[in-house]
Amino acid sequence: MSVGPSADQVRLLTTPAEPWLSCDDCFHLMDVVVDQLVATSRPVEELPRLRAHLRACPACAEEVDSLLELTCDDARVDSAPARAALGLGDGALPR
Amino acid sequence: MTVTEPGGARVGVVPRPAEVIQPVEAGMVADQSRTAVDWPAALTAGGACEQQALRELHGLMLRASRHQVRRMHGLITDLGPDRCDEIAQTAADEALTVLLTKLHTFEGRSRFTTWAYKFAILQAATEVRRQAWAGREVSLDGTATWTEPGDGPEGEAVASDLAGAVVRAMELALTGYQRKIAVALLIDLVPIDVLAERLGTTRGALYKTLHLARTRIRAYLRAAGYLDDGGNS
Repeated sequence: MSVGPSADQVRLLTTPAEPWLSCDDCFHLMDVVVDQLVATSRPVEELPRLRAHLRACPACAEEVDSLLELTCDDARVDSAPARAALGLGDGALPR
Repeated sequence: MTVTEPGGARVGVVPRPAEVIQPVEAGMVADQSRTAVDWPAALTAGGACEQQALRELHGLMLRASRHQVRRMHGLITDLGPDRCDEIAQTAADEALTVLLTKLHTFEGRSRFTTWAYKFAILQAATEVRRQAWAGREVSLDGTATWTEPGDGPEGEAVASDLAGAVVRAMELALTGYQRKIAVALLIDLVPIDVLAERLGTTRGALYKTLHLARTRIRAYLRAAGYLDDGGNS
């Protein structure tokens, strides 16, 4: 058996990240999406783009997850549904 | 004092705002009864009202930066509690500086507190990553050090087939710069903020390069029959 990329490395190298969203756009949107997910049951228009970006950018994913946790603490609500909607916590990416 | 702009740009030395030199009490939480409209008005009202709003806002920023440092403490376990709190305090100060320059951009689409938290979270996370990698060398030669595939038939299949194609895609489909960035971020697991600082660029610019690299790898794999049109391997 030859040495090569692990399954995790293959996954990281081939992670799809469409539709495109930049880190700047992610920063611009994160508070809006987090508040909508925590405070309302309305569909969140920007969710697909943000979710795709968070799957591909572990630094942004860490920061959005942290913002969500803090916001849910303030609102005294469970963060699990919003985390699931954002696709957070389902990978072992570095942050 | 250096400040991280959203997107990762380091904007150099910024004077700490005189208004926040007076420290807030530990654990102080801002008046969350303020509305999104009240906060910007209070922060530009002048006089005692503005001073009070700044103190409350600094309390909010400190809460968020401490929260972030706690979340990422596993990356800086060699630092003592005093140093960790110093990181949080500095991040809160710097984030407040950035926020005040961006106050006119607040659109009221979220609660002001949520909008404010994100500046402190970004600043604290960036600083923790920098501390965690301080003194560590980052190899930028684009040469991947592959780990051994996992045990069992599944791991071997990945190693011999798809993984081999991924290696070829990196060699043939990527530019040298794209390969260097992909290896550093995805194989060597250098945090994107750290790599951006070492290369004198921004998180946003590196993410765009990484996005293009992944797109090229996926296109190569699709053309070679390893991904279907839906992008599944």
